[in-house]
Amino acid sequence: MKKKIFILLLLILMVSGCGKKKEELVLVTEAGFAPYEYYENGEIVGVDIDICKRIAKELGMELKIKDVAFDSIINEVKTKKSDIGAAGISHTDERAREVDFTNNYMESKQVLVVKKDSYLKSPSMLSDEKIAVQLGTVADTYLTEKVPTVKIVREKKFLAAIQDLIDDKVSGVVMDEVPAKELITSDMVILEEPLVIDYYGMVVRKGNKKLLSIANKVIDEMKENGSIDEALLEHMGVKENVSKKNSLIDKFYYSVIYDGRYKYIIEGIINTIIIAIGAVILGVLFGGIASIIRNINGNTGKLKILNLLAKWYVTVIRGTPVILQLMIIYYVIFKSAQVNIVLVGILSFGINSGAYVAEIIRAGIQSVDKGQIEAGYALGLPYRYVMSKIVIPEALKNILPALGNEFITLVKETSVGAYIGIIELTKASDIIASRTYDYFFPLILVALIYLLITLVLTKVFNTMEERLNHARD
Amino acid sequence: MLEIKNLKKNFSDKKVLKGISLKVEKGEIIGIIGPSGCGKSTFLRCINLLEKPTSGHIIFEGDDLIDNDNLEVIRRKIGMVFQQFNLFENMTVLDNIILAPVLLKVMTKEEATVEAKRLLKEIDLLDKASFYPNELSGGQKQRVAIIRTLIMKPEIILFDEPTSALDPEMIGEVTQLMRKIANDGMTMLIVSHEMNFIKNFCNRVIFMAEGVIHADGSSSDIFDNPKDEHLINFLSKIKNV
Repeated sequence: MKKKIFILLLLILMVSGCGKKKEELVLVTEAGFAPYEYYENGEIVGVDIDICKRIAKELGMELKIKDVAFDSIINEVKTKKSDIGAAGISHTDERAREVDFTNNYMESKQVLVVKKDSYLKSPSMLSDEKIAVQLGTVADTYLTEKVPTVKIVREKKFLAAIQDLIDDKVSGVVMDEVPAKELITSDMVILEEPLVIDYYGMVVRKGNKKLLSIANKVIDEMKENGSIDEALLEHMGVKENVSKKNSLIDKFYYSVIYDGRYKYIIEGIINTIIIAIGAVILGVLFGGIASIIRNINGNTGKLKILNLLAKWYVTVIRGTPVILQLMIIYYVIFKSAQVNIVLVGILSFGINSGAYVAEIIRAGIQSVDKGQIEAGYALGLPYRYVMSKIVIPEALKNILPALGNEFITLVKETSVGAYIGIIELTKASDIIASRTYDYFFPLILVALIYLLITLVLTKVFNTMEERLNHARD
Repeated sequence: MLEIKNLKKNFSDKKVLKGISLKVEKGEIIGIIGPSGCGKSTFLRCINLLEKPTSGHIIFEGDDLIDNDNLEVIRRKIGMVFQQFNLFENMTVLDNIILAPVLLKVMTKEEATVEAKRLLKEIDLLDKASFYPNELSGGQKQRVAIIRTLIMKPEIILFDEPTSALDPEMIGEVTQLMRKIANDGMTMLIVSHEMNFIKNFCNRVIFMAEGVIHADGSSSDIFDNPKDEHLINFLSKIKNV
């Protein structure tokens, strides 16, 4: 009962405390696609953003931008979490079944990028090649359907696709012409003949007629008076060619200092730690409740239904990936509710961790010598004293190290949070890499930060363990 | 004071106790002997319901312990001493002894501490009061375990192979303490493989085999003048060893 009330309170807190203000137009995008949307000075800017700002202005609203994974954008719009999606989204029939497209604002050519010395001279020569694309983009769908003999390497980012080409892991990259011009290095070339030409539109929820017509009006106007082309020119050439600045100090400068990029890392650290701490507290709570229920049932036969629920909770959570749990909680359970994503993260990781904590506690209790429990009963102690005075203090010795381990795992698992748009440490490195076009430094830096956090935690837990053992000597 | 009626215990489909009946009078020192696996330890553990009997009745001072809501209160009067001592590893010797009387509000913490120290002094272990069990020898642990039971002022104490886990040189200190308690008039049920100890110490001996009582009589009836075939067989095997 207490658990139910607690969850209810948590939900009310999440929904009410973080409700969407009336005057906001929520734009959802994936900000790693210059010149359409990218991070600069800690803000998301780009052609799509310029257009949406105009739409918001026309509506008399404030524009709020959400940065999520590209494959989550349609879902965000469908579930009313966002009003409009813009991320260089190609108009396809498949997508048009899920959401409504605005008029096209940009003609996009899917082109083949190869090394200058490549024998590939035309898209018609692709048939048996290994080609990198960004997952879920038009290039991906086009190659899958039209050139099935191609071995497709699906990367989360264009940048990673280009990196594959640099490393000769693939013989070419198929992608949009505009970002391609931004991304290619001096030894690459874009083949002139496009594979396919498609058209970018923005997406709104089906039936949102008012937003659709205003967006169309703004887009048509901007196309007419040339301001979209202007915006495109303005946002082009923002690439900093880090590859020319190869010293570590330069890499450090461009990854951390320039443009205030350390802010992403700091935000990432804070979110990672907040989510991990919040989740471990919830995890111990949920896991504790589940194991208490199971223990009472095991010893007295009471609480049959709760015991069944606790058993299923552990089984289901341990049997499914945390990333799916996170997305189910965000896109299914909190469907059409405006919730703070960090709180969703805490709740999801807390529920996930609880299942493991329940097993940790169960194993800890089982490890307690049965003889001591019997001695307690033989002295006339009731179950509650046997548990609280004999079993739990003994079990704690085994539980604490495992719990520390679980916390450390949790710190690293929060990296999954980027899927629903949480800027945690891994996402921070992603944002920086999408600006510098260099994965090396941000990834190593963030890896070191994770390592530092876990080292500190290990030290803290070791000290606690030692104290616990000392108390007995 | 204690009457056991037709006690049966099955572990899944294995019949361990096949109907045991026994009357225990106040002040009796009863030894229970028999070959390994005859069910004597299970029988003892059924008396205070550490094992739940499959059927039968255990009547202690007029109350049937089976399905008794007051089981915990009755258990205070039935002490138990285990083969493996079963001291609470995370507590000092003193805390081991005073835990139950204080939690169950039989005594205040001060009273319990005074009483525990008095008992510790009697067995020459007062200097170990603040030690943890893992710092004691086996004999010391078992004597502390006996005191932990004694402080609850039980009417009867069940000893489940109290000396089997001890090194030979430590058996004496434990049996000596048991003799002392017996002299004070305690009722005792002792499961043991120490035949000489049972023979000299107990005023009544029960022989169990295959889940039933085969012989029940005075120490001399059992050891010097055995009549039951199983018992004769059992005693001859022991002599051969």
